[in-house]
Amino acid sequence: MSAVAANGLVKHFSPDIRAVDGIDLDIPEGQVFGFLGQNGSGKTTTVRMLTTLLRPTAGTARVGGIDVLADPDRVRKLVGVALQEVGLDDLQTGREQLSLQSRLFGISSGETRRRVDHLLEIVSLTDAADRPVKGYSGGMKRRLDLACALVHEPRIIFLDEPTTGLDPVTRDQVWRYVEELNRDGVTFFLTTQYLEEADRLCHDIAIMDRGKIVAKGSPAELKSSIGTDAITVLFASDDDAQRADSRIRQLPGIDSTALAGREVVAYLRNGASAVAGIVLALNDAGLTVSELRLAQATLDDVFLRATGHHLEVDKRVEVAAVAGGAA
Amino acid sequence: MTRFITTTWLLMARALREARRQPANDLGNAFIPLFFYAVTVGAVGGVAREAFGVDDYKGFQLPVALLQGAAGIAGGAGLALTQDIQSGYFEKLMLTSTPRFAIVLGRMLADAVKAFGLSILIIAMALAVGSGFETGPVGMLVLLVGTAAFALAYSGIGVAIALKTGSPQAAQAGFLIFFPLLFLAPTFAPIEVFATWLEVIARANPVTYLIEGQRSLITAGWEPAALAKGAAAIAGIAALTFTLTGLALRGRSR
Ligand SMILES: Nc1ncnc2c1ncn2[C@@H]1O[C@H](COP(=O)(O)OP(=O)(O)OP(=O)(O)O)[C@@H](O)[C@H]1O
Ligand SMILES: [Mg+2]
Repeated sequence: MSAVAANGLVKHFSPDIRAVDGIDLDIPEGQVFGFLGQNGSGKTTTVRMLTTLLRPTAGTARVGGIDVLADPDRVRKLVGVALQEVGLDDLQTGREQLSLQSRLFGISSGETRRRVDHLLEIVSLTDAADRPVKGYSGGMKRRLDLACALVHEPRIIFLDEPTTGLDPVTRDQVWRYVEELNRDGVTFFLTTQYLEEADRLCHDIAIMDRGKIVAKGSPAELKSSIGTDAITVLFASDDDAQRADSRIRQLPGIDSTALAGREVVAYLRNGASAVAGIVLALNDAGLTVSELRLAQATLDDVFLRATGHHLEVDKRVEVAAVAGGAA
Repeated sequence: MTRFITTTWLLMARALREARRQPANDLGNAFIPLFFYAVTVGAVGGVAREAFGVDDYKGFQLPVALLQGAAGIAGGAGLALTQDIQSGYFEKLMLTSTPRFAIVLGRMLADAVKAFGLSILIIAMALAVGSGFETGPVGMLVLLVGTAAFALAYSGIGVAIALKTGSPQAAQAGFLIFFPLLFLAPTFAPIEVFATWLEVIARANPVTYLIEGQRSLITAGWEPAALAKGAAAIAGIAALTFTLTGLALRGRSR
């Protein structure tokens, strides 16, 4: 059974705001699924529809085999959700908040006490547990918010940009929780703007662009779909680069090329053994190479191919990350 | 059903816990009715007998103070709800398997509990300055329960507006509509001495029956008809505000 399945899911906030414009999803149980896209591509809107917070304009979705429109209450019992913006109550302490969350899921008070102690330990908030949330730092709030999503031991967890704005240490911690829980069979639906995060954590990813899924597959599959290696060759002029591009494309073993100014990128399977051939061919054609780099194709290359632009992380978010790291 | 009761209870306890942490909010709610009670009794009390035949004006004014206090407190649920909506905590509650209505009912009940407490204080003050109380302790309990029930019913206005708009200003403005209603009722004088136009309005105003019901317990004795009309007024207000709240709640969970 799929943990998450969607069919033609659509959300239009108005005729010209097509936040989600017909997506299909089929996420097997036990997977970490990554939903990648830049600001405004429709990630949060999708999460909100799948977690019963938002009614779709059209389409259907099942989470844990249950229709989100027909039986939202059962879906809510199955899923844990940490939204992009933490939603905490400043006046309660961390412990009170976690306990209330647990009790509202129908968990007994004894069991709640056990789980809350354990979770506070896991997210390193034991010492701050009895202080009002108002005084927590951004990272502490994020960790408490995450703990709130885990308290009823959900089998499917939605995390909307869980690491945006976190310092590298906390980010690493979050990644470890995800990996640990996933080892116990928990399915994750994770949105992110970080390619590194998707690459490290996710079994499968989907790339969203303007409300549509433009590429889907495992990171390795996606990378190999454009060739596993990338050879970047830099020339003295655009003109040279253009001539080199058509020359390189004819060489055996080249999957595809991309031309960007004075730069030609060749995607292929076995980069190391092809370098010599490329250099010789360019020499024959009388083209002088200024610089040559061999690297593995990255998800950034995939993203560029699928959307026509690089994945640009919101600058404000970067600033927040720096500020969070310094605090 | 037990789930509904448990979760409502938990959320009421949370609201009360938070109220204790910001006592300033409720100090104003206690001060205003006591202040108006003192000045009204001070200004009119001396002439009430000659002017409109009221012997115990301290008792006569007591329901006004109770309703003012209860209405002030009943604005709390809506206001607090807008804060939950703005902080995103409301969505966290919506993501639990709590019955939707329990999420708002818990807050509204907290207002009722606070109104109950404040009413004890107000009644004690009134008795201390010499107000009578014809129906004794049992009547006091009925009065307290009735006032708390009114607070519960009335808090639904602010809650419905909060759910609909998410705006604290709107929630506060909406809840102020009680005050004109309070003064279009036999607040300072019995309805018999009103000008005809005011009497017509007052007779159509549910607050009139609330006040008269409460007042009967204090100054007259057990009057089933007055109590029944008062209870009906509360039930009518509750039916309206609970319906609006239910609709607004459905709108918000889209
Ligand atoms: N409640 C709303 N009303 C109107 N438009 C909305 C609403 N919520 C989202 N949108 C619009 O829908 C589009 C998709 O937004 P969404 O929040 O899903 O993007 P996202 O991929 O999560 O972006 P980000 O990376 O910035 O979080 C955006 O154009 C956004 O402005
Ligand atoms: Mg988002």
